[in-house]
Amino acid sequence: MKTFVLRVLVPAAFCAAAWGQQWEVGAVGGAGFLNTVPVSTPGASATAGFSAGAVGGVYFGQNLYSSLSGEIRYEFFDSNLKLSSGGASASFTGIAHALHYDLIWHTRRKNSPVQYYLAVGGGMKLFQGLGSPEAYQPLMQFGYFTRAHAIEPMGTVAGGMTYRLAPRMFLRLEVRDFISPFPTGVLTPAVAPASAKFGSILNNLTPMAGISYVF
Amino acid sequence: MRFNRLSVTLLLAVSIPSVLPSAAASLGTVVPIGGTASDIVLDESRGYVYIADFGSNTIDFLSLSDLKIHTSLNVAAQPGSLAMSPDGSYLVVTHYNATAAGATAGNLVTIINLSDNTQQTLATGEPPLGVAFLNVPDARYPSGVAVIVTTANIWEMDPVSGKLTLLTSLANVSSSLPIQAPASPGQITEAAMAWNSAGDGLSIWGLAGATTGTSQVVFKIDGHSWPNAPSVYPISYTSSPALLPRVSVSADGSYAMVGYSLVNLNGIVGRYPNILASKNITGHTIDSAGGILYGQLPDSSQPTGPVAASSSATPLPNLLIMSSSSMAVQDRIVLPENLVGRALLNAAGTVMYAISESGVTVIPVGSLSQYHRLSASAEDVLLETNFCNRSTVTGTFTLSDPGGNHTDFSIFSPVAGVSVSPAAGTTPATITVTANPSAFATATGTSPVDLTIGSVSAVNAAKTVRVLVSNPDVEQRGTIVDVPGVLGDIVPDAARNRFYIAREDRDEVLVFDGSTNSQIATLPTLTTPMSLAITGDSQYLLVGHNDSQFVTMYDLNALQMVSAIVLPGGHYGRSLAVSNSAILVLARDEGTGLGAVDSLDLSTELGTMLSSLGAYLNKVSPQSALAAAPNGATVILADPGGTVMLYSAAANTFTAARQDFTALGGAIAASSYDQYVVGNYVFNSSLVPIGTLAESGGSSSGFLFTGQGGYFATSASSTSPGVIQEFTTSLTGGASPTAMVEAPLLPTATAATSGGTTTGTSSSSSSTSSTTTTSAAMTFTRTVAAMPADNTVVALTTSGFTVLASSYGASAATPTIASVVNAANNSTALAPGALITVYGTSMSPVNVATAQIPLPTALGQSCLSVNGTPVPLLFVSGTQVNAQLPYNVGGNASVAIHTPGGISNNYNFTVGVAAPSVFMNGTAGPLTGLPTIVRAANNQLVTPTNPVNYNDTLLIYTNGLGLTSPQVTAGSAAPSSPLANAVLQPTVTLGGANLSVSYAGLVPGQVGVYQINATVPFGVPQGLSVPLAINQAGASSSVNVRVVGN
Repeated sequence: MKTFVLRVLVPAAFCAAAWGQQWEVGAVGGAGFLNTVPVSTPGASATAGFSAGAVGGVYFGQNLYSSLSGEIRYEFFDSNLKLSSGGASASFTGIAHALHYDLIWHTRRKNSPVQYYLAVGGGMKLFQGLGSPEAYQPLMQFGYFTRAHAIEPMGTVAGGMTYRLAPRMFLRLEVRDFISPFPTGVLTPAVAPASAKFGSILNNLTPMAGISYVF
Repeated sequence: MRFNRLSVTLLLAVSIPSVLPSAAASLGTVVPIGGTASDIVLDESRGYVYIADFGSNTIDFLSLSDLKIHTSLNVAAQPGSLAMSPDGSYLVVTHYNATAAGATAGNLVTIINLSDNTQQTLATGEPPLGVAFLNVPDARYPSGVAVIVTTANIWEMDPVSGKLTLLTSLANVSSSLPIQAPASPGQITEAAMAWNSAGDGLSIWGLAGATTGTSQVVFKIDGHSWPNAPSVYPISYTSSPALLPRVSVSADGSYAMVGYSLVNLNGIVGRYPNILASKNITGHTIDSAGGILYGQLPDSSQPTGPVAASSSATPLPNLLIMSSSSMAVQDRIVLPENLVGRALLNAAGTVMYAISESGVTVIPVGSLSQYHRLSASAEDVLLETNFCNRSTVTGTFTLSDPGGNHTDFSIFSPVAGVSVSPAAGTTPATITVTANPSAFATATGTSPVDLTIGSVSAVNAAKTVRVLVSNPDVEQRGTIVDVPGVLGDIVPDAARNRFYIAREDRDEVLVFDGSTNSQIATLPTLTTPMSLAITGDSQYLLVGHNDSQFVTMYDLNALQMVSAIVLPGGHYGRSLAVSNSAILVLARDEGTGLGAVDSLDLSTELGTMLSSLGAYLNKVSPQSALAAAPNGATVILADPGGTVMLYSAAANTFTAARQDFTALGGAIAASSYDQYVVGNYVFNSSLVPIGTLAESGGSSSGFLFTGQGGYFATSASSTSPGVIQEFTTSLTGGASPTAMVEAPLLPTATAATSGGTTTGTSSSSSSTSSTTTTSAAMTFTRTVAAMPADNTVVALTTSGFTVLASSYGASAATPTIASVVNAANNSTALAPGALITVYGTSMSPVNVATAQIPLPTALGQSCLSVNGTPVPLLFVSGTQVNAQLPYNVGGNASVAIHTPGGISNNYNFTVGVAAPSVFMNGTAGPLTGLPTIVRAANNQLVTPTNPVNYNDTLLIYTNGLGLTSPQVTAGSAAPSSPLANAVLQPTVTLGGANLSVSYAGLVPGQVGVYQINATVPFGVPQGLSVPLAINQAGASSSVNVRVVGN
């Protein structure tokens, strides 16, 4: 993780500053939809994951070339942890934060009123379990909700469009996937009565809309 | 000879309580009015109680601020009842002037405008009996509509215009003036009404024709149909004694307390079981929000007339604090004088205003905690000796003031062999009760001794504490389980391995687990549950009540009431029997004084009286009883007059009746093989007596058929040892009588009382109680049940119930001990005072645990000795015994167990100075087997989902920390002040890091359980399984816990 930050994010940010021609700041909001991962124990199975929830974020970017730009982004996710098995389910209050740098390739020139783009980037995601610990938790034979935090490396891909609302004002619509390892630090596989095994990849598909200002 | 000495002692004891201090204080302020109060109204907005003075012809304004009468309005003669309009604008007064000559001139209604006290008077013609308001939602009637009941009609009246409109006619009776003195206004008008002013104000309940005994009418006037005319629901009510004219209505108007009965539109929910006839003592009010019924209802603990000030023996009036759903009495508050009329509660439910003998008594029922009261933590203290321990035995209970006050008390034991310490003092106090077995040496049954509790300052009449001294011989069988109260019936539930017991005095059915014989649930019932039956599909429990018109039905899986079946008017179900065709109820009919058989329809929730019992009249003694065969094919009915009748489910009628005896009583049972037992007689399918069971010098108590054989329980008296006989294959062969540890319950009513009284005071141990325990009298008893899953037989007995192994008659095997281990972790490390588990065989015929503190040294029929000294026991079973080591053992020790089968081998083991070990949690489910460590942050067990955090304070519950300072006697609860600290200080590490220990010692109030309080520093290793180790004097043990750093 540390290597990723040092070798990718920091140089990218400095490069952007060095070659900067046009800057952009914006804010986005939307909803996050996460997949569940399978949980298996001898003789029983469940799913673990996070509930859909609101997402909000800010970004700061720079147009590097006519079709390439870069931006550093932060997103906040409101999504509770959950376990489900059969007809039973259990949940635990949770949030997450993402910090990442994206490279963005635009399909049209930067001055076009409508631009389509693809983005790819990487960073880290901090998961936090915020619920109240209870001695007995439903489905605790599969996993333990934990009031703790877990930092996981994260990759992200996105696609979307921008639409110029005013000379310096843009509307941005995008769909983004945040891909990270499952945060077992906040939803820990059970060890008793038998060890539970969790799936490993967590996708957080997030349609978002935002406004940006170019200067 | 020794028995005679005991009898003399008990005889002396009965005479002593009259000189004991009783509750001398009382609660309430009496405001004399110098006249005769007939009705009151509470006007909180103006700060007055308006009092109708029947004799002085005034309305007195009693100020709520200083409880003085500053104003009196003169009104027309004989103001009998009052009601204030919902908006507080008008006070309506009715004037009763029914004369023998039929003069009607004085029958008036006065409308007082409370803004200026001006009066408007109207003539009703007919004598008005009572008035109440409907708070109708109609702009035309901003002050509501007054409803006035006269001797012939019910009228509506607009208090603004004074216009009277006939609502309906109501035939009634009443007394004529003048009347022979003395007589209270209630005895004259013989009516009362009240409305649900605390609710929507659209329900009026009333009683008319009171005290006439045969013509009482309970009615409800429902204004919810407004603007249509209010609905009137009259209910003819016959009761003995007659209902006095007092009415209190629940806030929602769905039920009311009328006289001494709780009624709803379907019937009589309950009648006060202990009621005695009184000319005018009764007053009550309902606190719907609190579910409380406050009232004085005359019973044997109170006067039925005025209190004679000069006589110290006269009981004092009591305000009963009762459940508003069943009338179960929760406490008794001593009153300065009797309540003789309407009672009202202020809106906050904190102050009660009641008409009393001198005028009005103001009772601060919401401030009871500010007054001295006494409450004992236990109803019973069971003190048991056995053949290996005849030394003195002790038990404890605490006396406290529910309000936390320091209240003086004195306790008196009427029997020399039972002593209490301290005998006087101030609450809170732990009372130690000591029984000297030598004083009970010849009483091989259980001797109940009531401890009388008195106080100079307490305003409540403290309940007695029943001490049960059990002193059985080695040949007596059974294990006593103490169940306080008056127990009426027992029914087994083999499908769920439970049994159910009706507790009459608390209006409860107690649910017991058949394996552990411990109570697992309580089902609230209506008033005086006395008969139980399970439906044919085994899904529901039916409960018949001696003092309720309803038979309640409970879902046995959910353990919740699901419906209530109403019996015909005046019928109270005393005995239930479920057959394959009909569910029969033997009910007492309060109208005729006889008994009748009703049939229940569970779908319509109605009971219907059978038109006849086959070819016979449906008229039997109310003391009769029913018993159904296990296969549901037949039901036997036994009458105390000697008649037996047989119902056939196939014919769906009664098919046979005989009378071969002049009296019958005791056991009643039916078999699936066409045999029946009543008393000690055996009948065949034609009800011809075919045999007699030996009663072994006692009286018949209970019979349980098991196939074609059965168990027969008898006893000479409630303090004698009981006798049980098992008939293995038939009832004709002889059976060996075996002595039980105590007597099975005996009938509380005499046989051959056909048509006689239906209620009575039981001969239970509360005869000297200031709160008399009264039950529905029973001529026939069902006291024996079998639990086939555990091969046990349960019998209702003097102390509660007695559990016997079904093979109690077989010679007991010699017990053996295989191992002795630490009760916390099953290790062999032991220390002085440690809780131990002993494994072996034949160590007890039944499973029994105790909650008694100090722990008994004899439990069931087992006692355990360490180095020859009996040790405190917590649990005994055939293969496992839990006990506590004495604090004075060390080094090599030897343990042996004594049972009726003999003395076991001596098992040798070693006791160190310390053996720290964390108790493992025994809760069923995912938490099983976890160490009993609690996070102080949320007071929950440490588990993987509630892991240890940095800076947590952990409460670690342990065994085996050894000697303490101050020393604690084995079997006794640890003190709270000073705390009993472990002499050898333990250290605690988590993942190798030291925790700061702030306390290590016994848990206050617990026996043998230690607690270590330790704080987790930052930086301890995290993980799913981090070792937490306790080290003490070279001994150590560890458990694993989850640790997270947050």
